[in-house]
Amino acid sequence: MKAAKVKKEKFRKRDLMGWLVMLPTLILFAFFVWEPLIENIRLSFCTTKMYEVTGFAGLKNYIAVVNDVDFMAAFKNTFAYTFWSLIIGFLVPIIMGILISETVRGKSLFRVGVYFPNIMPSLATIWIWSYFFLPGETGVLNIILGWFGIEPQVWLNNPKWTIPLIIITLTWKSAGSTALIYMANISGISPDLYEAATIDGASIMQRIRHITIPSITGIAKTMLIMQIISVFQILYEPMIFKNGGPNNASISLMMLMYRYGYRDYNVAKASALSVIVSLILIVLSGIYMKATAKRNDE
Amino acid sequence: MFFEKYKDKKDGVIRGYDIRSPKTKVIAVIIMLICILMVCICLFPAVWVFLASFKDIKEFTREVSILPEAFEWSRMAETWNAFKFTTYYKNSLIHVAGAMICAVVFNGLLAYGLGVLKPKGHKIALGLVMWSLLIPSIISIVPLFRNINNLGLSKSFIPLWFVYGANAFYVMLFKQFFEEIPKELTEAAKLDGCGVWRMFVSIMLPLSKPIIMVVAIFAVTAAWSDFLLPYLVLQQAKWPDNTTMETVMVKLFSFKDTPTDAVSVLRASFFAIIPPTIIFIIFQKQITDGAASGAVKG
Repeated sequence: MKAAKVKKEKFRKRDLMGWLVMLPTLILFAFFVWEPLIENIRLSFCTTKMYEVTGFAGLKNYIAVVNDVDFMAAFKNTFAYTFWSLIIGFLVPIIMGILISETVRGKSLFRVGVYFPNIMPSLATIWIWSYFFLPGETGVLNIILGWFGIEPQVWLNNPKWTIPLIIITLTWKSAGSTALIYMANISGISPDLYEAATIDGASIMQRIRHITIPSITGIAKTMLIMQIISVFQILYEPMIFKNGGPNNASISLMMLMYRYGYRDYNVAKASALSVIVSLILIVLSGIYMKATAKRNDE
Repeated sequence: MFFEKYKDKKDGVIRGYDIRSPKTKVIAVIIMLICILMVCICLFPAVWVFLASFKDIKEFTREVSILPEAFEWSRMAETWNAFKFTTYYKNSLIHVAGAMICAVVFNGLLAYGLGVLKPKGHKIALGLVMWSLLIPSIISIVPLFRNINNLGLSKSFIPLWFVYGANAFYVMLFKQFFEEIPKELTEAAKLDGCGVWRMFVSIMLPLSKPIIMVVAIFAVTAAWSDFLLPYLVLQQAKWPDNTTMETVMVKLFSFKDTPTDAVSVLRASFFAIIPPTIIFIIFQKQITDGAASGAVKG
């Protein structure tokens, strides 16, 4: 009886120590992550002047955001961004992962090479790409097209191309790291499966279709949702390339939030917009959590 | 020779026995060529910015060429000095060093609590951290900056360092690693009456060197590339000796609003990608392994 009590007390002390170890970091999380998220909600219902809260606004900020022509443009663009990011951003890493897994010579070189864009500072790469896309015959891509006798293109100045081109630059940067994740999963597939399939007379394409693809479906679902979530973070590319243009053709939700916050200094309106985006992300994250939980159970 | 190595191939669709057929040989060569092309595409922008930095503005705007006419390092030095890049480098170094220490210490401690000590109720903290993994911090940048301002922490590096102490991704990296440390070790230490701190210092720390390396490298490259919060916090901030506190990325970002000639922007971008490239070349294995393993479980 007494021994049990002592044990219990000791247990409590360990708990306390555990929380003490975590406390400093939890405070940082609270200050940098959680409190600002809640603060966002509060500010979205207030009227503000610069950074000062001046009163209660009810739903006025939300109504102002939804009625903004720029918001409608950004909202529509989000669908275009999502569409292209699923076509390009989602499929390219899968193909890369499968292809690199099939190489024998230089495999580590390929791994390192495709990951390299990931560590380049995004701001520097955006500047570099903006010169790649220069219209006229001195633009880098137009020089390369010229080698094949193709006329110079206008690239970002064509509103129909702006979003797909932005997605291409984003994919260039991130595809390598996603491909590494697929490769780790592909190398975990048991060779017995392939051998059994070969005995049954399956060709290489059939093996990819019936063994490789089903084995990476789980991780691919996760990556799909991550890909969609990342669309909502697009900010710097449209801002630096064409400042959201041409004619709002590439403005993103995050860019609009930045404009509200730091061009118009309308903190309340920026908060209302970010609450809207947060809600979308929370729903998407919920789906993500479900998908991962399922995968871990398997 | 080239195909010999396929006989020892352990993973992937193409098996050692496939390589005997000429059709498979052709496929193997094509895959190899595609992979080489992919790596070229991934490296090309970095190589190009290096080459283009040697052009002067006339050459850059008029000549239809990728290669510069001459490799004159003095032009580089000119831009370096004109923009006082030494100062920006120094500031970035201060930013990166503090961020790295915060990232390792705080996230490591939280993961030690969540993964090893597991005090009563730790699941709540774990759930909150998991959710923050999915909500991009950029969403709440407006209220966060407001809080920093209200605390009087703007125009200093303190918030820029400590924000790295609250990174859900690093916490997860640490936690996964700690959980793989055999339970017997920690249990034995507990029975020996080893306290929470002594266990951390004498058991966890020595075993955790690889993961500390990975998180440190990730934090260094992330902090180097980071610019929205540094831009908001450090704008027009000055050291006591009246030199600017802005980092390399803040300088790069400011080109957006101040008209600068293309060649200077390119040279500045080139200066910005040198340090991460060097780090990547040195630690390529740790970085690619960390990137592949860190997210396998989602």
